[in-house]
Amino acid sequence: MVFPAKYPSLNATEMTEEARQTLIRVLRVAFPHESVPDGPYERTADTILTEAQNETWFRVALTQGLLSLNQMADGDFRTLDDESALKVLRRVEGTEFFGFVRRTAVLNLYDDADVWEALGYEGPSFEHGGYINRGFNDLDWLPDPRVEFPVGETMPEMAQGAAGVPRPVAEGHTTDSTNQPGATSSDMEEVKK
Amino acid sequence: MTSAPENGTPGKSVTSQSIDQDEDAVVIIGSGAGGGTLAYELTAKGIPVVVLEAGPYLTHDDYVNNEWESFNQMAWLDPRTTSGSWRVARDFPNLPAWIVKAVGGTTTHWSGATPRFKEHEFKTRSVYGRVDDANLLDWPIGLEDLAPYYDRAEKAMGSTHVHGRPPLPANNNYKVFANGAERAGYKFYATGPYATNAEEYDGRPASIQDGFNFQGDKNRSKWSILVREMPRAEATGLLDLRPDSQAVQITHDAEGRADAVLYLDKEGNLHRQAAKVVCVAANSIETPRLLLLSATPRFPDGLANSSGQVGRNYMRHLTGTVWGHFDKPVRMYRGETMAGLIGDESLHDPDRGFAGGYYLETISLGPAFMAAFVEPGAWGPDFTKLLDAYTNSAGMWIVGEDMPQESNRVTLNTTVKDVNGLPVPNVHYDDHPNDVAMREHAYTAGEKVYGAVGAQSTHRTPPYPSTHNLGTARMSERREDGVVDRWGRAHDVRNLFVSDGSAFTSGAAANPTLTIVALAIRQADYIAEELKAQRI
Repeated sequence: MVFPAKYPSLNATEMTEEARQTLIRVLRVAFPHESVPDGPYERTADTILTEAQNETWFRVALTQGLLSLNQMADGDFRTLDDESALKVLRRVEGTEFFGFVRRTAVLNLYDDADVWEALGYEGPSFEHGGYINRGFNDLDWLPDPRVEFPVGETMPEMAQGAAGVPRPVAEGHTTDSTNQPGATSSDMEEVKK
Repeated sequence: MTSAPENGTPGKSVTSQSIDQDEDAVVIIGSGAGGGTLAYELTAKGIPVVVLEAGPYLTHDDYVNNEWESFNQMAWLDPRTTSGSWRVARDFPNLPAWIVKAVGGTTTHWSGATPRFKEHEFKTRSVYGRVDDANLLDWPIGLEDLAPYYDRAEKAMGSTHVHGRPPLPANNNYKVFANGAERAGYKFYATGPYATNAEEYDGRPASIQDGFNFQGDKNRSKWSILVREMPRAEATGLLDLRPDSQAVQITHDAEGRADAVLYLDKEGNLHRQAAKVVCVAANSIETPRLLLLSATPRFPDGLANSSGQVGRNYMRHLTGTVWGHFDKPVRMYRGETMAGLIGDESLHDPDRGFAGGYYLETISLGPAFMAAFVEPGAWGPDFTKLLDAYTNSAGMWIVGEDMPQESNRVTLNTTVKDVNGLPVPNVHYDDHPNDVAMREHAYTAGEKVYGAVGAQSTHRTPPYPSTHNLGTARMSERREDGVVDRWGRAHDVRNLFVSDGSAFTSGAAANPTLTIVALAIRQADYIAEELKAQRI
């Protein structure tokens, strides 16, 4: 096999620290949240690296992908500003490498207590007695609405005259099925003497 | 039963009752809304039953307040494939459905909305008329047949707003939803009907508004099979419950009567339970899969499939989500997930450009699920903006009637095998133009609601993997139009019943669980009578 011999880094079983740092930068650019600290991005990167170790194909794709980012950055992807880095990632959006990073990141970055806190989510609540006494109804910028249906009124089931109007016709319909006997639109299309 | 009795013999009962595998038993396959209800109703009448449940026995103590951890604990994750133009096939190709594999089935995950079907929704072929490429059919029963069973189901489930059950209070998400509804000109909004207690009822405590409905309600305020039917069935001493037991075939005798169910225990051992009655309630993907796996020379297209309709007319409800982003906090995750409903658009009004109707219901996801589902496949600053708005977001879900189509169907995919070597189900679905038109209308309506209370932006989320799976063994008056009769009894096999949402002839706008339970209570009455009269 020529390719691995020519690029011995592809055979590396351990990712370099540089590769890890590049991956963290990829995550920061692809999923930018000003309020999220570095910890969740680093943990997500480590999760991706661990998953890549378990699948040869992912490891190869990840190694190649991270190397290609540097090539596209004409040097070191990590030194690009946010806008330029985002452009580079847009160019690799359709690759196996980026798809793997994106899927794994979406599943893990947001399953992280630090991220929840940054986004304003409070996590498990049963152990704290739920929100019944902790603000389940503390929204105060709108009036309190009624919680029951209007008294003495019945929800309409059918619009007036619903049965009498022309029926919706699907575009590009094909043929009658045996369970749909009756007039078809094609009846009106051809007139024979 | 308070703790999971997982230490039993594989493939055998975990209750004190054990029925011999050679004894011809009433065998129920599945322990969700349909199967669990049937099990309770039959044992309450003195009829012993065997319940085969594919999943484990999880209890309220096992449930976790964490979206992914819970998902991996209880979701049905066996391999499945998808095809068709629906977006789920692209976004979640191996997860067509978001349902539960555990004792209690998807009642563990359901949130609790319990609207009834409307009268005309049992007569869609007559009322909607001819809709091209739709396989509409009137149900063989009407609202008048089901009404008394709706009453019983609502009382069993403790639905709010009916039978004297008080409504739930307004939570934050509902405040935005209801004020928006009022200002957008809608009238019929409320916090229910919703089968979670506002006050203690039927031995279940009032909701503590913990916001975890989809993950199983640890507080037991939400009705589920696990909190009500299963312990009561066990208390009769007539329930033989076998968790981790996946039915793989229903066999029949020379007369074409079902005579046994073959099932696999968690170690992969094959068992045979003799049967005098078989009730299939395995949800609308596994139910047709099981019937198709049971093909024999006598039933070459699958058991009970002389009509060719087994697996067809798969419905999943319209679905879609609208998020509104505001300049002030909402904190939608605090409180009951779906305790809010707008019914104004649930009517049939073809002037809107489509047949049938839809409900808007509140919904909330945590950041983990929000990231996975809000815009599948998306990334970058536009995506992260949606999550940065989390605290100030309100959410609503669209539940509308989708058209039954013969080509939307569950088939066996013989090129992909599950862990037992059985072909996995493939779920094919294309949106009908009526579905597309209704979804567009509903998205616009949702945006109008949030716009009316000052939303700075809104976002349309495409359908999630299906939780409402319906129609693949439908009821029909004539045997050539469907799989089962007005009692859910197979046209072709006299002692075979379908007891879940597969039996729905059409989907209606309403969330299906209440109707599944009502149908199962009604079917239990029928089966008991037929057994007594020795007609089965």
